Amino acid sequence: MKKTFWYPIVFMALLTAIFTFILAFMNYSTADRVAANEEYELQAKILYVFDIPIENDSVEAVDELFNEKITLEDDVYAYHEGDSVEGYAFPVAGSGLWGSIVGYVGISEDYETMLGLTFTQQSETPGLGGRIEEEEFLSQFRGLDISESSEEEYVVYNPAPGGNVDAIAGATLTSKSVANFMNDDIHEFLQERRGE
Amino acid sequence: MAKQKTREIFSMGVWLDNPILRQLIGICSALAVTNLLVNSLVMGIGTTFVTAFSSLTISSIRNYTPNHIRMMVQVLIIAAYVIMVDIFLKAYMPEMSKALGPYIGLIITNCIIMGRAEAYAQKNKPMPSFFDGIANGIGYTGVLLFIAFFRELLGFGSLFGIQIFGDWWTPWTIMIMPPSAFFLLGIAIWLAHNLREKYQSEGAKS
Repeated sequence: MKKTFWYPIVFMALLTAIFTFILAFMNYSTADRVAANEEYELQAKILYVFDIPIENDSVEAVDELFNEKITLEDDVYAYHEGDSVEGYAFPVAGSGLWGSIVGYVGISEDYETMLGLTFTQQSETPGLGGRIEEEEFLSQFRGLDISESSEEEYVVYNPAPGGNVDAIAGATLTSKSVANFMNDDIHEFLQERRGE
Repeated sequence: MAKQKTREIFSMGVWLDNPILRQLIGICSALAVTNLLVNSLVMGIGTTFVTAFSSLTISSIRNYTPNHIRMMVQVLIIAAYVIMVDIFLKAYMPEMSKALGPYIGLIITNCIIMGRAEAYAQKNKPMPSFFDGIANGIGYTGVLLFIAFFRELLGFGSLFGIQIFGDWWTPWTIMIMPPSAFFLLGIAIWLAHNLREKYQSEGAKS
């Protein structure tokens, strides 16, 4: 092979163009499917926050259940049971140990009980901080009474005075950060709502 | 170059020259994803796919690739295949894509792929390179499944998500934590080494 100045550059550019084209095509042709998967996951998670049992987990059934019970208004999901509103779910977000954590908190319509918690995005250490996505941690927030909580202290880890949930052993930073941003965002939400 | 038989390629990749047990490459992912058999299997299939096809592609264009930019070319090709696996999982197996998370993207840094590209595909014809990729992928998957078998059984009391042990079983939490992978991988390498020595010394006698 002759060693020329241009050959490697042209070769590399051509190869890059070919592979970029293939990948762009694949990405384009699966984009709708990926978006549908993501929507399904979000719907299932919002239903989970409100503790609405999903009996049939097919895409259509979840979509129907979601549209029947839940409406969205400026990033706040409202849970309707018949004509009455049972609760609200709003996004909470903050930085974790490795990346940002995004989730939803459900609060009852009288703003006195936490209905549930879920995370939609997190990149914490699997097996340690990553356990915030596990049922064992999340279920602690179901029905948590926050009517008596002093301001900005809705989530307090045991064994601190007034503690109401357990942190994850071995994941102190993640646990702390989750409590911090939850407290901030819940406080903000409640102030806004109670002020109305 | 001597024409290598396909059988030979497979016995080398899967056992004699097993990437994890013998070449000691691709260990990071072997430690990371082996707490569940399903994760290990998908990771293994993904890596096998990427190794096989990147070896095939690299080998097909090896005569046109300028030698001094071959590593750039290899990385580009490997990355492209890894992204394909990632897109595929996102679209058709979203649960698995979530469970494996960043590890799919990290297939690109798996030394096995680059190792095979450099050691084999760069010097051999496309088809043997393709088989070499598959063989090494199978060897890798085999070790992953071996480790995951013990980790899932002892850590969760289940196999492929099916509960094997009843309520009486106390799960060994350490088995689902990273340290157990080190122990098991060490044991696996030790066993394989012993077996191989026994086999070789017997072979020498006869």
